[in-house]
Amino acid sequence: MTNAPLVAFAGISKTYGNGTLALDDVSFSIAGGVIHAICGENGAGKSTLMKILFGLEQPSSGAVLLDGKAVAITSPRVAAGQGIGMVHQHFSLVPSLSVTENIVLGQEPRRGAFIDRAAARQRVVDLAQRYNLLVDPDAVVRTLSVAAQQKVEILKALSRDVRVLILDEPTAVLTPPETDELFERLRDLRAAGLTILFISHKLREVRALASHVTVLRAGRLVGDAPLDAIEDDAIARLVMGQAERPKLKRGGRVSGAATVTLADVSLAARDAADRLHDLDLAIHAGEILGVAGVDGSGQRGLVSVLTGRIQPSAGAIAYDGHSIAGLGTAALRQRGLAHLPADRFHDGGSKRMSLVENAIAGAHRLAAFSSGPFLKRRAMEARTVQMIERYNVRAPGPKAPLAALSGGNAQKLIAAREFATEPRFLIADQPTRGIDVAAAAFLHERLSELAEKGCAVLLITADLDELLALSDRIVVLYAGRIVARMENGPDLTPERLGPSMLGLESAA
Amino acid sequence: MIRSALASFVITAVLLVVVVGIVLVPIAMQMPDPLAVLDMFVLGPFRNPRHTGNIIEMATPGMMCGLAVAIMLRAGMFNLGVEGAFFLGGLATVATVLLVPLPGWAMAPVGLAVGAVVGSSVCAVPGLLRARYDASELVSSLMLNFAALFIGLFIVNYFLRDPTAGAMVSYKIPNDARLPRLVAGTRIHLGTIIAVAGCLLGTVYLFMTRAGFESRIVGLNPAFAAHLGLPIRWILLRSQLIGGLIAAGAGGIEMLGLYQRFSWQGLPGNGWTGVVVAILARDNPILLIPAALFLSYLQVGGDLISRNFDVPSEAVGLIQALVLLVVTSSAIMRNPRLLRFITGRKAAANKTSGPKVAEGSAA
Ligand SMILES: Nc1ncnc2c1ncn2[C@@H]1O[C@H](COP(=O)(O)OP(=O)(O)OP(=O)(O)O)[C@@H](O)[C@H]1O
Ligand SMILES: [Mg+2]
Repeated sequence: MTNAPLVAFAGISKTYGNGTLALDDVSFSIAGGVIHAICGENGAGKSTLMKILFGLEQPSSGAVLLDGKAVAITSPRVAAGQGIGMVHQHFSLVPSLSVTENIVLGQEPRRGAFIDRAAARQRVVDLAQRYNLLVDPDAVVRTLSVAAQQKVEILKALSRDVRVLILDEPTAVLTPPETDELFERLRDLRAAGLTILFISHKLREVRALASHVTVLRAGRLVGDAPLDAIEDDAIARLVMGQAERPKLKRGGRVSGAATVTLADVSLAARDAADRLHDLDLAIHAGEILGVAGVDGSGQRGLVSVLTGRIQPSAGAIAYDGHSIAGLGTAALRQRGLAHLPADRFHDGGSKRMSLVENAIAGAHRLAAFSSGPFLKRRAMEARTVQMIERYNVRAPGPKAPLAALSGGNAQKLIAAREFATEPRFLIADQPTRGIDVAAAAFLHERLSELAEKGCAVLLITADLDELLALSDRIVVLYAGRIVARMENGPDLTPERLGPSMLGLESAA
Repeated sequence: MIRSALASFVITAVLLVVVVGIVLVPIAMQMPDPLAVLDMFVLGPFRNPRHTGNIIEMATPGMMCGLAVAIMLRAGMFNLGVEGAFFLGGLATVATVLLVPLPGWAMAPVGLAVGAVVGSSVCAVPGLLRARYDASELVSSLMLNFAALFIGLFIVNYFLRDPTAGAMVSYKIPNDARLPRLVAGTRIHLGTIIAVAGCLLGTVYLFMTRAGFESRIVGLNPAFAAHLGLPIRWILLRSQLIGGLIAAGAGGIEMLGLYQRFSWQGLPGNGWTGVVVAILARDNPILLIPAALFLSYLQVGGDLISRNFDVPSEAVGLIQALVLLVVTSSAIMRNPRLLRFITGRKAAANKTSGPKVAEGSAA
């Protein structure tokens, strides 16, 4: 054994093809056998640095050292050969394939010219048992909850003899109990000798899991310390620069008439996770109604019927007292619906289109942006520039493709688009997932501002702090039913929500 | 945007030159004067204005069929009905000018309009089937091409056939209906200008109009289109109607521009060329123009050597086959939906994140 650190970054800089300087002379090292956290605002360069380590991007200058030796990691294949595995910020599983197929993809065991399915399945079963990450090897990935999909991603990364595991914002999509379970597994992995690189915007998680933290800001290294030598406030200051850590204020808004009502709404869906049973609910003008629940408790079904994507199999939904039976998304958007979807890249935008096109899509038929059959490109661009400035989206320019933005910045742009429609009814599905603290606080302010202006806001979130900080009322979904309803107040705590979220207690 | 498309265009074009070289050089080596063969292939098309004219004549339907394909591809549709639409459009145009008593000045415009509408059905029907029943437009359009061919041949044989001509060809197209020729000594006709203008208008449509914007959203991310509430089925159908009209119009223009009589005995292949042109141009309407010219240049060069040397015409066919292979394989590798279609997996294009309602299985 030498004394050289397992991984060291030496003077790494990265300039993307469009001129964005994403990393600027970053040097630090990662000791073997620890959990090492990397923090920083949206667009700070965290994902870029991890992609360099995993061979997806090449540094413009500087070197990656493994065990003290410079290694040119020119592709993920080279990274895998060096024992580096990565779970991406946005999952890369093939939804229509089974768990086994996804995990062995690219390294299938063969018998002659054919894939040896039995061997592949056995390999996945062994792997899952060895790391205590239990998933059904035959399940089709599309039908799994997000947490289960993430287990599959981790197993896939572990399937190639990994010694360094990179997790890019793994908890952004998880509920608190799921996060706790993930942390248990990660501690097991560390105990088994793995080194884990962990990215998160949540200091609490960093504190709970990691032993060392590195902070990036605008591509530069601004902090690197063992966690027992640094206070939370100090980390927060490093992450945000001089900015104060914003405080959220709790609900207490006065609400008006019911904007949207659901009466005995049921949905018979193919996936159990989408089904709804006898939902009775009213969302009033001027209130934020929070929906709590473990992922897969019917949130997706609820959003689908409320946005007109799917007609409920029973019951009635009304906007302003008028039934919306038979109306599609377009008609509902005209009646004032806006929707910030949970999966921003899947439903919320098009990666290959420019920021302008992503920001204006949906509003492009308004007189402001089109005359006759033609689009007013200049007005569209001016509006986008406004949104970029107001929502502080870090972007090379309005004409860049959405794919050139960091995960959090792309989400800010999509939020800007939906909020800008001045909605009367807004569905905010995981509005701050993957967004840094300052930007999350900004979006929270926009949400309460919308509510104060009389918009009815339905807030679906796995982040209980966010739920409790913003909601006026809270309902808990479990297995497609509302199992609890409560007024938000100072005495409501995550602990009190827990049992009903897990279906242990019904107070409806 | 156009810069990256141009880069890939140049790469593919260079690749094509290499491939053609690999086929051509060994063939040339067997001739008494190998250099003359290469010279004829590379420079021959430019030595004689008639041959240079051939490039442009041939590129004209290539551009228009390429435009039809590009507009449909941008909306995410692989509708191969362009071939049948081109054929039927040509036939319906000729039938109109032959059978309908029209004043001379009205023959070409009316004939072309009727041809475009009739011919576009070959693209529209698969479009409807896709919008209505989610039937793969790729398969249905491919089959419909042959239906169009045999219906067309039947019509030629029973309604338009000139018994005094030896073969199964129509009566002569009246002079008044022909499109004016533009350059003396060549057969370049008005259609070339229409085709170039069409490519420019295609750019305007795709990038500057609401309809084009919407069809690109549907093509790039159907789930995003659904989130916005865009009328996806109508947008898909609309792009295939536009594509069909263009391809069928191109067939009519080809007939009135170059032919004396309707004499196609089989599918003429211009639609397939259009697919190759569109892929080479990466669905970018402006780039369709150089892409079509480049492909017809290869074709004219090949024709010249097979006519002037003892090179078997199969060798020229081989060159074309390789061109097709290079261009389409690059498209397939780039296009996940096409790749999945070919490997037989379920198309993901109609998959959205919304839940699927169980059909009759509420249990
Ligand atoms: N493919 C790309 N092309 C051009 N610029 C890019 C590309 N990917 C990222 N960038 C830019 O590089 C910078 C760093 O992005 P990166 O994705 O590393 O941020 P991050 O720290 O992971 O942020 P987040 O918390 O939002 O995920 C951003 O300014 C982003 O706009
Ligand atoms: Mg990131």
